[in-house]
Order: sequence, then structure tokens, then C-alpha cells
Amino acid sequence: MIEFESVRKSYRLGGVEKVILEDLNMTFPSGVSVGILGHNGAGKSTMMRLIAGAELPDAGKIRRYANVSWPLGFSGGFNGQMTGMENIRFVARMYGQDIAEMIDFVEDFSELGPALRAPIKTYSSGMKARLAFGVSMAVEFDYYLIDEITAVGDTRFKKKCAEVFEQKLRTSNIIMVSHSSGSLKQYCQHGCVLDSGRLDYYEDLDEAIAHHDANQAK
Amino acid sequence: MASARYRFDENPLTVQSRVIWALILRETRVTFGNAQLGYLWAIANPILTTTIMVLIFSFISRMPPIGTSFILFFATGIIPFEMYNKLANSLMAVFTQNKGLMTYPLVKETDAVFARYLLVIATYFLVLLVFFSTLIITGFAPWPHNPGSAIAAIFCLSLFGLGVGVTNAVVKCLWGTWPQIYGIISRPLFFISGIFFIPTTFPPYITDWLAWNPLLHFIDWFRAAYYINYESVIFDGPFLFYVTTGLLLTGFGGARLFRKKLA
Repeated sequence: MIEFESVRKSYRLGGVEKVILEDLNMTFPSGVSVGILGHNGAGKSTMMRLIAGAELPDAGKIRRYANVSWPLGFSGGFNGQMTGMENIRFVARMYGQDIAEMIDFVEDFSELGPALRAPIKTYSSGMKARLAFGVSMAVEFDYYLIDEITAVGDTRFKKKCAEVFEQKLRTSNIIMVSHSSGSLKQYCQHGCVLDSGRLDYYEDLDEAIAHHDANQAK
Repeated sequence: MASARYRFDENPLTVQSRVIWALILRETRVTFGNAQLGYLWAIANPILTTTIMVLIFSFISRMPPIGTSFILFFATGIIPFEMYNKLANSLMAVFTQNKGLMTYPLVKETDAVFARYLLVIATYFLVLLVFFSTLIITGFAPWPHNPGSAIAAIFCLSLFGLGVGVTNAVVKCLWGTWPQIYGIISRPLFFISGIFFIPTTFPPYITDWLAWNPLLHFIDWFRAAYYINYESVIFDGPFLFYVTTGLLLTGFGGARLFRKKLA
């Protein structure tokens, strides 16, 4: 369960304040996967970072009664000078995981082979995504925060992601941002729409999609 | 597969020490390169620089103000000074260089500060150990007269360096030109911190002015601990305590206050 209590979040861009959340009170219930919809720039990625705790709200409190992954699909946490292997070790140490097991899992999942021993700065964006995805799937979280990850990579990678998701969904949940209602429908039961500082929560994903489509049509 | 479920209710201190340890190991890779010899270079670098400077300056001035060994006199000044310099400068960039790390919710801004601080003091501890044991074995220096006090001096100096470094880091985030300004302000420190002299070299009215520089106190403290018959005339413990505490409070307080700007 993740609780938002009177949360406000805004950004200042070129002297203009942009409000992403205005006084949000809501709960992500446990045991449910949620899809987040919103037009470009509505603040979906910021919402993810707030849920993860990687960013702080301007006001209010966010309480996590579960362990939450970092927002995935964003490889900003990797250091370009370090090799894939060193980045895996770093995350394993930080999250107190068995380093050898984690390396095995990521090697197997990412299929990067010898490239794991090369610095990340030499990777293509697809390779980075495979590494990032493998690393975060190697740690068991209650919630995986997935930000448009399925947009990267080829069909084979997408198939692999889907398989891993299926497996994870037995014991964990996903909070997902996506433009494709297809992948949301595949994994999420509930949905919410982020629009001009408001977040509307729907216990039926289809209603959220309908709301979002109506917004888009405006 | 790695399936240890990560627990959200873990003791925060356990998490933080694990994160800091992971950051230290990451730092060694990032700052010293991929080579296995990378960390060795980190220790060798200050040792070689100091050796070269000692050689150059021993031609200019053969008689040190205290004792008979110029090498020992110079080393007791330059190594603590270099440690301070390293802390003040490398910590300055700590927030800007580690922005990507903030993706991981487990990492707090200050964790990166502690990791870098610990790595620098561990490195300089090794540098001191290697340099002074070489001097002692080769007969250029005696055993330190009061090793406990010498270690205390270095440790307190490192806290002062941490205070300056973290304050620098916060100011740099708020005002991008700060590193250039700090570079200009700190340049004379090399000449006025007692690397080449002791405070009593100068007439009292000059010493009184120089004594506002905390580094002069730390280096004098270290020398008074090393040399058997040298006592510092300027050393002012409460002054160092207030300055160091003030800087640490400003730095970490600022980091807390402006943490949204730092991340």
C-alpha cells in the first residue's frame, strides 16, 4: 500500500510554475497493479519518481508500506564509465543482494554477453534498457515502477519482458506509465489519469482509458 | 535467480551503511579508472607529488625552522594540507556529479558526501602511513612524539575539510561560479598555512593575522604532536571547534534546506 496525503508537487520552468499535483489524497491499494495515463508533460515521470521516493513532494506526505523499485526504464542511475558488471555489483550491494546470483540473473536476462564487461557509455539505448530492466527484475520488490520501458527494444526483448512480468505479477505489483493502452490492459487492473494537477483514480482500467481518450480528443 | 526480497522496513542505519559502502566501491572505480592499479595510483600520486616538492624545496631551503630534517618538516605540513585540499575540492562537485544516483530512492544526497569523505581520509591515512614509515625506516625522521595527538589533529582537520567541502558543494549548486571564486580565494592558502614556516617565524602582529587561518592551527597541532620539543604558540582548540562545527552545520544544514535543488 502506498498513501499520498495532501501531496503537492510543482515545477518552475522559465519562471512559470507548473503544478503537477495539487493536494492529492489517495491510496495505491496493495495487491493491485495500476496504470497511469496522461498527456505528454502532465508529469507522469515525476509521479513515478514521487512514488519511488527519488523525488520529494513540495508539501504533504507519501507513505510506503511496501518496498518499491526505482523508476525503471530510466538508466540515469548507471555510471557511463563503469562497466555493466560494475553497475550490477553496485545495485546488488546497495540492495543487499547476493552479487553472484544477481550477475547470473542479469547475464541470462539481458543476453549482453561480453558487452557486460565494457563501459556503459559504449552501449546502445536498447542495450542500456536491457541491462536496466535485468538489474531491477533481479531484485524482488512489492511494486515495480515501469516508465514506458516496453517502448524500447525489439520484439524478442518485449517477449522476454512479458514473460518476466507474468512471473513477477504472481507475487508483486506493477505501477506503469504507458501510452499504449494495450500493455496497460495486459498488466493492470486499476487506472488513473493525471491531468492539470489532478489525479483521477478508477477501479476499472477501461474507465481510466476512456477518460484519457476524452482528454486527448479535446 | 536472485530472489532475496528487499525489505522496506529494514533498519535505516543498516541500509545507509550498506549504501555508503556500495558508493565507496563505486567511487574507487569512477575516480581511479578501471585499472586494477587505479587505487594504487590514488595513493602513489600524493606520495610522488610530495617527494618531488620535497626535493625541489630542499634545494632552496636546507634548514627547517624546527628539527634538522627539512623533509620531515615539509612532509608534516604538505600532507595534511593536501588532504584538506582534496576534501574541499572533490566534495565541491559531489552533488552535481551524482545526480544520476538520485534515481535510486535508497541513496540520499549526503550518502555520496560521506562515501567520498571516507574514501579520501582512508587514502590519506595510507599516504601518511607509507610516507612516514619510509622516513622513519630510512632515518630521515624519528617516531612521532605523540601519535595519539597526531591522529587527532589529522582527524579534526578532516572534519574541517568535510565542513568546507560540503559547504562548497551546496554553494556551487546555488551559484555556479563558486568553484572559480573558491579557487582564487584558496590559492594563497598554500603559502599562509605553515607548510614552509612556523607561526613564530613572523613578528607577533603578523602571526595574529595569520592565526585566523584554521589550517595554520591544524598543521601546527600536527607538528607539535610529531616533534618532541616543539609547542604551538597559536593553537586554539575552541576556535577550531567553533569554525569546524559552524561549517559542518552550514554545509549539512544547507544540503537539507536546499535538497530539492541538489537532486
